[in-house]
Amino acid sequence: MVGSYKPELIVNGKRLDGRMPADLRNITIEVGVVKNAVGSAYIEWGNNKIIAGVYGPKEALPKHVQDPERAIIKCRYAMSPFSSLEEHGRTGPNRRSVEISKVTKEVFENVVLLDRFPGAEIDIFIDVLQADGGTRAAGITAAAVALAASGIPMKDVPFAASVGKVGDTLILDLNKVEDNYSDADMPVAISPRTGDILLLQMDGNLTKEEVKTGIGMIQKAGEHISRLQREALKAPYERILEKYKK
Amino acid sequence: MQRIVVPGEKLHTAPIRIENTTTDRNGTYSCILGYFDDENKTLVPLESLWDPKPGDTVIGVVEEDRGTTLTINLNAPYKGLALTKFLESDISVNDIVVANVKVLEKGGTIMLLKPSAMKGGKVMAVKPSRIPRIIGKNNTMIKQITDATATSVIIGLNGLIWLKGGNIDLTTAALLKIEEEAHTQGLTQRISDMLAAGMKQQVR
Repeated sequence: MVGSYKPELIVNGKRLDGRMPADLRNITIEVGVVKNAVGSAYIEWGNNKIIAGVYGPKEALPKHVQDPERAIIKCRYAMSPFSSLEEHGRTGPNRRSVEISKVTKEVFENVVLLDRFPGAEIDIFIDVLQADGGTRAAGITAAAVALAASGIPMKDVPFAASVGKVGDTLILDLNKVEDNYSDADMPVAISPRTGDILLLQMDGNLTKEEVKTGIGMIQKAGEHISRLQREALKAPYERILEKYKK
Repeated sequence: MQRIVVPGEKLHTAPIRIENTTTDRNGTYSCILGYFDDENKTLVPLESLWDPKPGDTVIGVVEEDRGTTLTINLNAPYKGLALTKFLESDISVNDIVVANVKVLEKGGTIMLLKPSAMKGGKVMAVKPSRIPRIIGKNNTMIKQITDATATSVIIGLNGLIWLKGGNIDLTTAALLKIEEEAHTQGLTQRISDMLAAGMKQQVR
């Protein structure tokens, strides 16, 4: 943490940006923003702006990475150099982006029907244009929509969100300042159909009960996020249906 | 009733066998973005990838001549491979070829039969999920287009379409319209109107 100075993150029961502890930021999702990609999505999650693109399945190269039984997923999470005020957005891969790419890849290995494409690879690119805390959760949410829009068969459209702790209060969906000064931060990705937890990481300390309550908060918020994902996926088709309804 | 479904959405309250779905004890769930008919229990993909099956007609571009084999780009997850000793005509690199799928090999190459080079014409790409709609029931849709525009059309199930002669621009526009509006009602009528208007303009 940054020195011993710690701003007060909750004043009169409200957070710095006016939210209540269990409130999400505003989320908008748009599908099909990158025409060259097989599937793509753009998400605005508060001040986060993220583009996700999916390419493939195509022949996995180099050949020694091929799996004759199933497809492999390659994931690249990257922050633009201008995305953040701090060192996060420096050019090229770094420890943090390699880690996030890995956990994101593992989220999607559990939902995509990889055995349909033996020997192939599926590329997922997540590019953060503007960062304000919780980009890995927003990136997973956007990449899930991009994958579904690409036509690659998958069991579910997962979503992700984070929960944290300020003093004794659990807060949902931390922004940058809260992320830096809170006592704990726990991003979670969930498959909404089965309730399976696909990603669980934690910074700081939470008790057993707090972890349970936190995951409950994310599941509840997930109903809203999942609905937005479904609406975004259906929107281009419903627009055309609407046009010819009369 | 017909509705648009996304991956993970429940289609039926009991496990039943439908293509592109997953089941558990409590129900059947979609695995793709598709159009589901509750009465007939059919799931038509809105976005899908070409699934190679023996006998499929495909269109591709020759990428490389390896002496004994030709590798053919099929705009699909896997490359096409054709043996040169069975060729009936001369085929060189960058030719557009029409071929049939013999088998999808385990390593992930598609063995092709009887490739033949197409002279002239052009190739357009559409989403593979739209090919059944472009062909129509008993070829009605594509026949309607070729009858009106007099264009020769060969449809590859991999999503590539070869066009030559006639009113190519109108054919292309009609095919793109089908690609965009495949899931709507009354599309045949709209295409017919579009073709009539397009051909009338050309006569003037």
